[in-house]
Amino acid sequence: MTALDMRGAVIPLALIAVAELWARAVDLQSDSLAAPSAIFMAGAKALASGEMLAATGETLVCALGGLAIGFVLGAFTGILLGIFRALDHLSEVTFELLRPIPSVALIPVAMLIFGFGYWTETSIVAFTTFWPGFLLTRAAVRGVEPRLFEVVRSLEMNLPDTIRKIVVPAVLPRMFVALRLAAGISLIVAVTVEITANPVGMGARMMSASQALRPDLTFAYLLWIGVVGWSLNAVMEFVQKRLLGPAVPLPRSGA
Amino acid sequence: MILQRLLWLAASTAVFAALVVIWHLVVENGLINRVFLPTPVSTWEALYAGILHGSLLGAWGETVRRMIYGWLFASLLGVVLGALIGMSAQARAYMSGILEFIRPLPASAVVPVAIVLLGLTEYMVLAVIAFGAVWPTLLATVHGFASVEPRLYEVGQSLRMSRWDVVRKISLPNSVPDILSGMRISVTVALILTVVGEMLTGRPGLGSAIISSARMFQAPQLFAGVILLGITGYVSSILLNLAEARLLRWRS
Amino acid sequence: MVITAAAAFPAPAGAPAAETATAPLLTVRDLGLEIGGNTILSGIDMAIGRGEFVCVVGPSGCGKTTLLRVLAGLRPPTEGEALYQGQPLVRPSREIAIVFQEYAKALLPWRTAAANVSLALETMGYPREKRAARISELLQTVGLGDSAGKYPSEMSGGMQQRLQIARALALEPSVLLLDEPFGALDAMTRQGLQDELLQLTKSTGATAFFVTHDLEEAIYLGDRVIGLHARPGRIGLVLDIDLPKPRHQLETRELPRFLELRHELFSFIKGAESA
Repeated sequence: MTALDMRGAVIPLALIAVAELWARAVDLQSDSLAAPSAIFMAGAKALASGEMLAATGETLVCALGGLAIGFVLGAFTGILLGIFRALDHLSEVTFELLRPIPSVALIPVAMLIFGFGYWTETSIVAFTTFWPGFLLTRAAVRGVEPRLFEVVRSLEMNLPDTIRKIVVPAVLPRMFVALRLAAGISLIVAVTVEITANPVGMGARMMSASQALRPDLTFAYLLWIGVVGWSLNAVMEFVQKRLLGPAVPLPRSGA
Repeated sequence: MILQRLLWLAASTAVFAALVVIWHLVVENGLINRVFLPTPVSTWEALYAGILHGSLLGAWGETVRRMIYGWLFASLLGVVLGALIGMSAQARAYMSGILEFIRPLPASAVVPVAIVLLGLTEYMVLAVIAFGAVWPTLLATVHGFASVEPRLYEVGQSLRMSRWDVVRKISLPNSVPDILSGMRISVTVALILTVVGEMLTGRPGLGSAIISSARMFQAPQLFAGVILLGITGYVSSILLNLAEARLLRWRS
Repeated sequence: MVITAAAAFPAPAGAPAAETATAPLLTVRDLGLEIGGNTILSGIDMAIGRGEFVCVVGPSGCGKTTLLRVLAGLRPPTEGEALYQGQPLVRPSREIAIVFQEYAKALLPWRTAAANVSLALETMGYPREKRAARISELLQTVGLGDSAGKYPSEMSGGMQQRLQIARALALEPSVLLLDEPFGALDAMTRQGLQDELLQLTKSTGATAFFVTHDLEEAIYLGDRVIGLHARPGRIGLVLDIDLPKPRHQLETRELPRFLELRHELFSFIKGAESA
């Protein structure tokens, strides 16, 4: 670790230390605040009991399941509409009217149809991840070297072959970047649905912890969600490096 | 060129209209239960009635009000804090830990924490909206400040510009494209958090309106509310596009 | 007459603060610059008089751009000193204006041409009411009179570079430092700008320090050409350009004297590059 990396850790560590000292000094017994050590203990207990991991599993099932459905549908649509401009033009109004609908607005709709189960969450993740899949794949297809399509015409390739042998390999790097983005979104949406409608998962547990006036557990789940999000991104970055190598520049992180 | 564009637009609208007709037929003939999917006609009627005679307009107003307050406050705060952090490489290094941790965190995940701290109040909703909407703008501003072309700093140096002038005339304008895209994300986050906050606290707004419509199995009213939320998202997007076009005229 | 010694004429000891017509404006004494263990420049001695046009050439890595930046006050020397009007150059000064090579990166893209020039006037504290007229005048001088409202992205490379020069001139500087300003431009534009620059320096009486890798350009423009060796950068050749002024693109370049100087300079560079 370079000196530069360590500087980023200074402030968080200092804050934790100050919070801990303060909590001990005032002998904190509160419904709304908890000492860092208490948060850590609550988290450790929840992990050990398996509760946290079970909740994580529930969230991931919905997030990744929704991602699989939404992103694949979106990517497929993006490829078709990227190849056939006429279809793209004709569907423009419909998509432009559907796109601005915030995903959370569909929670009551999903609740109406699916009740309080996994599908409520999964369907909304699917709807939300459809868009990056669709838009970014379509953009990637549009960015494919036009010469390649001339080759397709001169070889008189049929559609499935065109997609399989020309388009998909050409857009794979950008599609994977889009997938990374969508994966992050899927987790965020899943947790949001859980917090709002409490079907299953980490968000739901977080809400019940807050309602049970357990600030230590609530904060513990918050931090755990951060860890899960970070890990998911790290896994995808690793896969991207292995799969695509130097073909795709990694997104620059912030400052 | 323009004519071609208009023709495609007309055809596209016709396609949409056809889909609405199919929607109508599907529900009319019982292929999908009316409870889950209202007819286009009943949705329109609920929308019309809700706005003119009912509480939908008021609820819409509440949602928009909260969203705008939270978003404007958050944007201002985000730009100011982002500028302060972005100006100094030291500050950026020290803040990087916190910023990188918060970046992937779902904004809504702070809701339970906020409830624990502030209860199910209006204040909690506004605080959550502001907190969630700050980060995209803040991070974008930091990025904008960090990515100023070094040559421009040298121009500032050779012109003997004061530190404040450099921020005002070089760093800040340079960051405007980044700030605008950050604000774009912020407004989306603000809308989402407004709806979530309303759904959870039951305070007046479109969020609580559509939840109660769902609970009462009033599909037309529910869909009417969803449409209004879609329109809200659409209009904010358009307004930001206009602002961007105006402010970024200088781009080729 | 060719001088291959390390200095063209020695800097007067204890240069007087009040300049006379012969006292040099810029003096460099035994200047050296070391960065991270690498000696970039070493033992540079120069004296540049008011109104002189001095060109600096050398193989890549000879530190000519670094030398220019030291004169701009952007980088202090690690050894020796650089003096402007007898005072040490430790920070940038508005009397010494710099024109960068990458014009696109040195202009504010969000400001129009007029506003970019205005930036210089703003920092000078030029009276507000008079700014518009002055900007107009400056843009006219560089031939951008019709482009006041254009953004850099709407301007060609040559136009952008002229804009940068206009901004530099707005400072009414005594010294113009130019870092390969025409390097990225096509030959026609380059020649036009060379003549414009000669005109400008003549009419404003500004001193010019012009870094270039184009040897013919250096001879065409300069009153003197300084050739640097590389690694470390040190003076290897000083040529007095005794060609008649005003210069003409066709006639001057065909003069036998031009060809002699060219030959001399080319041989030096070839030798310096293989060193």
